[in-house]
Amino acid sequence: MATKLRETDVVVIGLGGAGGVAVLPLTRGGLKVVGIEAGTWMTPADFHADEIYNNVRSLVTTGNKVSREVPTFRTSPNDVARQVARHPMMNAVGGTTIHYHAQSWRLNPWDFRIRSATLERYGAKYLPEGSTVEDWPLSYDDLEPYYDHIEYEVGVSGKAGNIKGVIDPAGNIFEGPRQREYPMPPLRSCDYLDHMDKVARSLGLHPYRGPAAINSTVYQNRAGCAYHGYCDRGGCHMRAKNSTDVSIIPKAMATKRLTVVDNAVVRRIESDNVGKVTGVTYLRGGKEFFQPARAVLLGAYTYENIRLLLLSKSRFYPDGLGNKRGQVGKHYFGHWEAQAGTSVSALFPTDLNIWYGALAQGVMVDDLADDNFDHGGLGFIGGASLHAYTEKHPIGAAAMGGFGRMSKRWGSEWKAFIKENAGRSAPAYVQTTTLPYENTWADLDPTVKDPYGDPVLRITSGPKQNEPRAAAHAAAKMIEWFKAAGAIATTGGQGGTGPVLSTHAHGGTRMGRDPNTSVVDPWGFSHDARNLGVIGGSVMGTAGARNPTQTWQALAWRTAQHLVDSWNDITA
Amino acid sequence: MFEDPDDRMPAVPASQLPVARETEPPQPERRVLLRSALAASMLSLLPLEMRQAAHAVDAPSVLAAELLTILDAFVDRIIPADQNGPGARAAGAAIYIDRSLGDWNAGELETLSVGLRALDALARRRFSAGFATLPDAQKDELLTVMEAGQAESFANAQQIFNRLHRLTLEGTFSDPYYGGNRNFIGWDLIGYPGAVLASTPEMQRMGHRLAPLHTSAYTLKHEHDGH
Repeated sequence: MATKLRETDVVVIGLGGAGGVAVLPLTRGGLKVVGIEAGTWMTPADFHADEIYNNVRSLVTTGNKVSREVPTFRTSPNDVARQVARHPMMNAVGGTTIHYHAQSWRLNPWDFRIRSATLERYGAKYLPEGSTVEDWPLSYDDLEPYYDHIEYEVGVSGKAGNIKGVIDPAGNIFEGPRQREYPMPPLRSCDYLDHMDKVARSLGLHPYRGPAAINSTVYQNRAGCAYHGYCDRGGCHMRAKNSTDVSIIPKAMATKRLTVVDNAVVRRIESDNVGKVTGVTYLRGGKEFFQPARAVLLGAYTYENIRLLLLSKSRFYPDGLGNKRGQVGKHYFGHWEAQAGTSVSALFPTDLNIWYGALAQGVMVDDLADDNFDHGGLGFIGGASLHAYTEKHPIGAAAMGGFGRMSKRWGSEWKAFIKENAGRSAPAYVQTTTLPYENTWADLDPTVKDPYGDPVLRITSGPKQNEPRAAAHAAAKMIEWFKAAGAIATTGGQGGTGPVLSTHAHGGTRMGRDPNTSVVDPWGFSHDARNLGVIGGSVMGTAGARNPTQTWQALAWRTAQHLVDSWNDITA
Repeated sequence: MFEDPDDRMPAVPASQLPVARETEPPQPERRVLLRSALAASMLSLLPLEMRQAAHAVDAPSVLAAELLTILDAFVDRIIPADQNGPGARAAGAAIYIDRSLGDWNAGELETLSVGLRALDALARRRFSAGFATLPDAQKDELLTVMEAGQAESFANAQQIFNRLHRLTLEGTFSDPYYGGNRNFIGWDLIGYPGAVLASTPEMQRMGHRLAPLHTSAYTLKHEHDGH
């Protein structure tokens, strides 16, 4: 029998990128919050400038809970889904923001209204076949104040390209209007990025320095980035990366209204016989607890948000919590971005010296992204951003990626090849607009279970046409950009076949106005269970041409603020 | 009542589990942070002779002596000593692989041991001598056959070759902490200067080979010992 704890105002499930943000507006709004996190606190002593530790053994990113519930995957409903080797996310206070690349963007205003903008500009035949894309139930302007909160409270370095309609070509000229400049200047540049920037301008492109949730200067009493080159899959040894465990959660704890329960696994969200949620059941130290709450915000990763709803069945919700219309798991998709074949790499005839730096230390081009160009006659909508960046590790560099085929791969010939070229290759991301489709969804696997006996999530992801076309179109420009910069060879850029499991997993609890096509309302609360909010990527109906975290965080802040502002209505 | 699986199926070895801590956020004082940032930037500027030599990880040797000899001959042909300097043998790549098989790659010990024996058996069939004793040209002939997956009675030859090739890279180019990349042989070969806690803009200047720093991540750390 579960030990019943004293009731709290709000339970937040998961203290990662989304839950770790939501706790601040909640506690500042006077609510008592219990944050339940499957992982624990990490410190700079947990992080190392070591490729074996971070990239080969994945010791920072290995989470105990997520690795017990890795989803299965298939590309056709006729196939049996197979469990994937490892889960791409982690459990910790701060979650995956601890080891993410910290590229921190706003979406383009177009992203919020892809369907209507496409109908207006190109007509219905340009909507991809089989896509379930809808306009978001809010606009860029609606989210702008929350983007601003994130940039200042989390801490984002960058250069504005559009302040209240005034365009500055040092920033992104395609971005939506923002109310003010970033709180910190962009991350330090370097020789290679200055070169890439100059070449892009000579091609008529509009490069800018990508924004990052990394301190470029001392900010909020923490040091600026030291560019040691082990940001990827590593935590920051000097707390310059603004993961929520160092940026937001301590502020919420300072209100004395947040209790962090770490090393705790939420098993079910409980509901009563009229469909309201009553709290959560969790395991900690081998014991079961019931934490009653007036409201619950579900902020696990996309996969677990979907799974926990489907598992939380009750008499009122026989098909899963908030799933009265079978929408939980629908409109799921992984972001078409950094996978092999989609990305582009270049080999230069000179030492680039991008060993050090950070993945977010980069130069970005949006000319081929979003609806920033005329798609007439191209046969797709959306596009991709192009991002050239730094940070190379020695084992990966010596492996030479796709350039290894330029030489026999062992012996003296190969040794001479890597001696000359290991420090001369450079990568680029091609992050692509991604839409939901009828052939892609998440549900519970019929056979594969976690150690508690619960089914893991099953991903079914059918083929797409729009995404590889948009990616390949933009990648062609990346290849042209690299070659104009002096590259002697490039690999990748064919468009790719998309992700298996994704670190940018979206949808499955889509936000919308129509309960027949979405799970949560325009504020992020269940259409069925009014005191259940969902935060994180699972509420997003589309993915932009850039990393999603800042949008997840802005939406999480907005949902939490709405709970404070509408407390009596929501908990009535 | 749910069963807690924590006791019976750890997803990672206990030695790698995060240490349980008080549920309070770490809150360093400002002056401590600034001091560590300053120390970090100063350390990267210290002359080489003032840096400690990298120390090795403490992990057991698990490969049988004859297999270690075969493995050492293998890595020597993947990255040989030649006019471009010492190779994987001098870097201790086989030692790295052996130690990893006694630790985080323990699940592969059996497969790779069988694979090394199969390579040696191939050598004895074709050249009537053990792999490690063959002249380089004959070793290379066998590795070519192995890489192409065309070795008789050695069904997974290509898979074994690919895995040992990858582990040779790791052993040659990883932090010396793990027993390979001795004397920074691997990093010197490809021009990676070494692990630092902070880099300068000059360390990101294009068009020249950076001077070696010969630093391991685990000689830079002051706040703790390894992991």
